[in-house]
Amino acid sequence: MNRSTGLRSAWLGAAGALLAGLMIASAFAPDFLSSPNQDVRAVGFFSEGYILGTDMRGIALSEYALQGAKIVTVPAVISGFVVMLLAMVAGLSRCANVGWTDGALQAFSELVGALPRMVVILVVALALPAEWRSLVPIGVAWAILAAPGAMDEAAATAGRLGGAKFVEALRAHGFSAWRIYVYHILWMNLRPVIVRQGAEVTMQVVFLEIALSYLAVSRQQPSFTHADSVYSWASLLYDGYTALVGGTPMMHAMMLGLALVAAIALMAQSIRMGARAR
Amino acid sequence: MVRLMAAIVLPLAVPGIITGILWALPGDPASIICPPQICSGTEALAQRFNLDQGAWHFYSTWMGNALSGDLGRSWRVLQGYPVMDMVKEYLPNTVMLILFAMIPVLFGSIAAAAGWMSDRLDPLWSAIGLVPAVILALLFAAYVQITYGAASYDGFPATLRILLGAVVLGVADGTLAGAIVGTRSVFEAEATQRYAQIAILRGETTISNTLPNVLPALVGQFRARVLHILSGAVVVEVVLGINGVGTLLWDGTLLQDFGVVIAAAWMFSILSSVLLVAQASAEVAVAMHVRRSPAVPA
Repeated sequence: MNRSTGLRSAWLGAAGALLAGLMIASAFAPDFLSSPNQDVRAVGFFSEGYILGTDMRGIALSEYALQGAKIVTVPAVISGFVVMLLAMVAGLSRCANVGWTDGALQAFSELVGALPRMVVILVVALALPAEWRSLVPIGVAWAILAAPGAMDEAAATAGRLGGAKFVEALRAHGFSAWRIYVYHILWMNLRPVIVRQGAEVTMQVVFLEIALSYLAVSRQQPSFTHADSVYSWASLLYDGYTALVGGTPMMHAMMLGLALVAAIALMAQSIRMGARAR
Repeated sequence: MVRLMAAIVLPLAVPGIITGILWALPGDPASIICPPQICSGTEALAQRFNLDQGAWHFYSTWMGNALSGDLGRSWRVLQGYPVMDMVKEYLPNTVMLILFAMIPVLFGSIAAAAGWMSDRLDPLWSAIGLVPAVILALLFAAYVQITYGAASYDGFPATLRILLGAVVLGVADGTLAGAIVGTRSVFEAEATQRYAQIAILRGETTISNTLPNVLPALVGQFRARVLHILSGAVVVEVVLGINGVGTLLWDGTLLQDFGVVIAAAWMFSILSSVLLVAQASAEVAVAMHVRRSPAVPA
């Protein structure tokens, strides 16, 4: 195994471990937070038997972290897959040389790419009835808005391969359509682009959730992304902000919030590095 | 052609979609302004806000008024207050925020195009770009609040909030990294073309030869970055406590104030259309420039 392959494996291992951690956290998240316990105030990590400490009401911050993971994991992964799928379609259609698809995809890219993303996200949030509040529709909307960039890049990569001429050349070698499109085009050539775009959108959707929930929490309003019974990682950051500004002993909440954000960024970066072209 | 079509469709479609959503929501649209359980006079309100004669009447009346400069009235944020007055009050801060945010983006693009910035620094820009806007804005908001306390929303601290917000928009979420790497990659790809190589052999600069050909791509990238900054402005304005159109849009969304949301979204869509037209114009100008250029003898 050469150095490059070893590095790639290390990045993929890190990405896999972080993704598995996120999924396990999501699976073990409690449906509701524990009842407040005024006798406990573990204002620091590893304090009074609480690894991550508690908030001012004596509720373990680990419960906030798990619930936050539950809010973001599935919607963010779905959004990543949506972008990957659309990028795949764009890349393959460039190689398949079906006349109308390129024009249709360009029109889609122009129209969707011209929309200011946050405006669309807020309109989607506005359209969601209170009982349907979830990150899934918002994440999928974000993925569709992010798709034009991914589609352009996938189509350009396929174009650089030679597009239809590349397919024709491989056909002349006697390869089956399945082998040409799935192995040679998707796996060997488009994979780095598609995986990178998917990882980026997954990360962006997690950060979008944090941003939307933070804005709602800071206005003392319910978030668009989850039910009132669960708490986003934005709650940790808001507690951290009040600690910074108001001097409450909640800096450990800020540290935990920042660590979770860093873990997501590291996960996306690891996937990108692990899937990059040889 | 597609771009010009999109530029025309966008400002018409965005209010249309929001109107459609308003009528698709359960219940009477007027009950959003004033739920019948808690107040009477819903019919009078529906008449006042043009909600009594269906979606098409509301849309056509709103568009007609908007084209003559009347953006309607707020439903909930400042109930009954003209939205145009709110926009006039909030828009300067947003414009300032976006213009300042463009400074690092433009500087990064120019530096990358001119080759002043080594590509060895790219991992650094990418690492900075991984920081989400909300986190950086939160830390800056805390800094201003701690330093200036209760007086942090007036005078210099208010301007400082805008400047720090511009730094967030210009640097976080990969904006600066995208500008540097994107611009450099466009120029590098064009520099491999034969005409550029010959120009270099003749002692001419790469940039003067490649610029006309890469201009449409650069304008396209610029448009995407302005849209990115516009989107981020909503988060940055709210977190940093800047009274801008983004804050207005957020408050309108939280309070289901369709009067404010439709106006703010329309303004964003108009700006997006202007950017589309600018990109299409650049493409046309370059095509005409290339056509006018004298043919080089073989």
